[in-house]
Amino acid sequence: MAQSRVGDSSTSGAFTVSDGRRRVQKITKIFGEGLLFTIASFVALVVLFIFYFVARDAIPFFQLRGFTEFFTSTGWYPADEPGEFGALAIIYGSVMVTIGSALIAVPLGIAASICLSDVLPFSVRQYAKPVIEMLAAIPSVAYGFFALVIFAPLLQNFGGPIMMWAWWLLAGPFLILAVIVLSDILSSGEINHGKRSRKRVLLNIFFGAIAIGFLYWVGNVLSAIQIMTGTNALNVSIILSFMALPTIVSVAEDSLQAVGRELREGSYALGATRAETIVKTILPAASSGILAAVILGIMRALGETMVVWMASGNSSHIPDPWYNYLDSIRTLTATIAGDMGEADQVTGSARYHVLFAMGLLLLIFSFASNLISERIVVRQRKILSGQ
Amino acid sequence: MNIGTRKILDRSFTALGVTSIVLMAMALLAVLVPIVNGGIKAVFFQATIEHRKLMYNEFGRGDADELERQIRQAESIREPLFAILANFDAELETMDDVSLKRSYRSKYNQVRNHLHDLLGPLPGDTEPLLLRFQYGKTRWAQAEEVLHDLLFVTKWDSSNPTVMAKKYFVPRVDDFQGTALAPLFAYVETHLDEMLLPQRTFYWGFLTDKALDAHIFGGISAEIRGTFFLAIGAMLFAFPLGVIAAIYFTEYAKDNFLTSMLRSANSTLAGVPSIVFGLFGLAFFINTLKVSESKSVLAGSLTLAIMILPTIIRAAEEAILSVPKTYREASLGLGATKWRTIVTVILPAALPGIMTGGIISLGRAAGETAPIIFTAAVSVGATVGLADVFSQPTPALSWNIYNLASEHEAANEIRHVQYGMVLALISIVLLLNMSAILLRARISKKLKG
Repeated sequence: MAQSRVGDSSTSGAFTVSDGRRRVQKITKIFGEGLLFTIASFVALVVLFIFYFVARDAIPFFQLRGFTEFFTSTGWYPADEPGEFGALAIIYGSVMVTIGSALIAVPLGIAASICLSDVLPFSVRQYAKPVIEMLAAIPSVAYGFFALVIFAPLLQNFGGPIMMWAWWLLAGPFLILAVIVLSDILSSGEINHGKRSRKRVLLNIFFGAIAIGFLYWVGNVLSAIQIMTGTNALNVSIILSFMALPTIVSVAEDSLQAVGRELREGSYALGATRAETIVKTILPAASSGILAAVILGIMRALGETMVVWMASGNSSHIPDPWYNYLDSIRTLTATIAGDMGEADQVTGSARYHVLFAMGLLLLIFSFASNLISERIVVRQRKILSGQ
Repeated sequence: MNIGTRKILDRSFTALGVTSIVLMAMALLAVLVPIVNGGIKAVFFQATIEHRKLMYNEFGRGDADELERQIRQAESIREPLFAILANFDAELETMDDVSLKRSYRSKYNQVRNHLHDLLGPLPGDTEPLLLRFQYGKTRWAQAEEVLHDLLFVTKWDSSNPTVMAKKYFVPRVDDFQGTALAPLFAYVETHLDEMLLPQRTFYWGFLTDKALDAHIFGGISAEIRGTFFLAIGAMLFAFPLGVIAAIYFTEYAKDNFLTSMLRSANSTLAGVPSIVFGLFGLAFFINTLKVSESKSVLAGSLTLAIMILPTIIRAAEEAILSVPKTYREASLGLGATKWRTIVTVILPAALPGIMTGGIISLGRAAGETAPIIFTAAVSVGATVGLADVFSQPTPALSWNIYNLASEHEAANEIRHVQYGMVLALISIVLLLNMSAILLRARISKKLKG
């Protein structure tokens, strides 16, 4: 090192470093890494801040009014003096549209993710992926506009026939399948081949008649329904399911892909068809990842604001009967968005703080579901790689 | 189970999967087609003479001589109509029966209102203050609807209480049979196109004009500008932060508890409902930090920046991780320091991937509504200049779509503006996304070699 100092420093500098420079480098390195860490931990800071500031404005509400009214009463009259702040109907509305959209989006999303990962050839998959990405990219307010201006009038004027056709198209194929499978299982006891096929045909005809009668009857009941308002829980559930689908499909597909080739090939080698391989081998192996996908999709529906604000009717009551999806409802997110405009002027009142209490509720839900889904994904990865 | 049944089950399983994909594609089409269809009508439509008058008076657009000629031509057809009105006015004056006169008067006022809607101020009307009353219908499709309202009275049949009331129409001319007003209806019906002179028009100003009289007329430039400022502002904050955080996570973070906490925080942030970001923006940026007096573009951008931060971090992380290991090793082998390697080798190689994430986040920031409701958006406001971003709220496409569709007093009459806005917003977002997809396709090609 001493020699190098004697020589031409400009040429040897690239290879040898003086003590002083090394110290400077070390300090810069520590300092730089510290700076990087600070910036990276900014995200965690933001999360803490969100919790703190939402909770800070939510707690005064519970101090003022206690917990019982908020969670057990359905009376929502924040503008009155002294006002009523029962959020039960609103929470129920949120739960209702979330369940409704999950009922549509979960089966569809899982079917689509299976299709993307195992059924479609690569050339078709290339075109299916952008469709899903576009569904995810369309802004929520555009979906809300669609729900309010295009879908709601359609539902109001032709709701009965629409539901009837949806029932026929969706339930029809499933019932036919069920008939075939059922008669196959019931006739499998016969040992004689000719007798067995005769019995199967008879059973097919018998169950088929029952199924068609059932289809027709439900279809008629549905088509006779008069929908009073197009801005209802059904409308919102359908549109929200569009929005939850991309999340469910992409996360579920990832976890299906994570199941290795070995399991698939083993199953095929044992003589299973593709459907049997998927249902009996791949789905169980990927089940935890799919569960995570479902949780994330549900969270997307629960946290969505614009669609429910525009198209749910915003009426704060529990539908009668409780499963009536054709009634208007109101959700937590829509209440926050809609009531803040008036409550903002009275910062410090229960009316202002109750909205933060709702926000806190949503935040806790999203935090918990995120944590759970993350744990599930990590565990699945461990199990799949550990074997 | 029978082998045939198993085959059927297998086939139908495949069919189920394909159907679900087809259903999603159909859902996408069902949303996009009506919106594109309606949105195109916002800029490409049959415009009446009133539209051309408005354009000339408010924006100084159009050929004065040609307009003058057309106005004169339309006036000459309108003259007989005004004469009929004058005749009927005179007839009303001479009418003796007070109750009959009153009933005619109220029905006549409805007729005049409809005519005013169609043609603008009639002779004898006071000069209206609001711009929306100074002109007749600017769009021929709307004029035809008003014509229908003029010719027919809408009545509701609620005789059967078990079903919803049914609509039916009665010709309005029946109310005025035998008076001087009776010929007016047939005259308007046959001569409306000559009075309004509809022409196919491409109204490109929809994107560049400011809104007039709360969006009844004019374009959406203020909203586009507001959306632009908000989205770009959010990117200015989130992009550098996100990329640096991603560098830390991929290059420096050790596999310990602290790092996993940070990652966990990142995915938590990604899952926070958008409306909660709005609440946070209000409580933190406006009420606590007081970055501005009340709503402002700055506060909105900051809120949006926090929202898109996790997306940017994830995309940047993925991009950095996908840079081949050989690049890194070659650079380190040449004696470059770690930081130098990151800046001169890894980041340039990962840049397209990082940009993809950035573009998608930009689209998300432009389209999001809930976070800006409390922090940045106003329904009517001046076009915001660059100097005002620290203090002024702004109209934005996403917020104004909600506002015009749900809260505007004349929401039903300005559907075309709403459709136009939705189409503008969707085009911005989807174009950004498509360019991101194309960019990504190019990268994967390049990495494959």
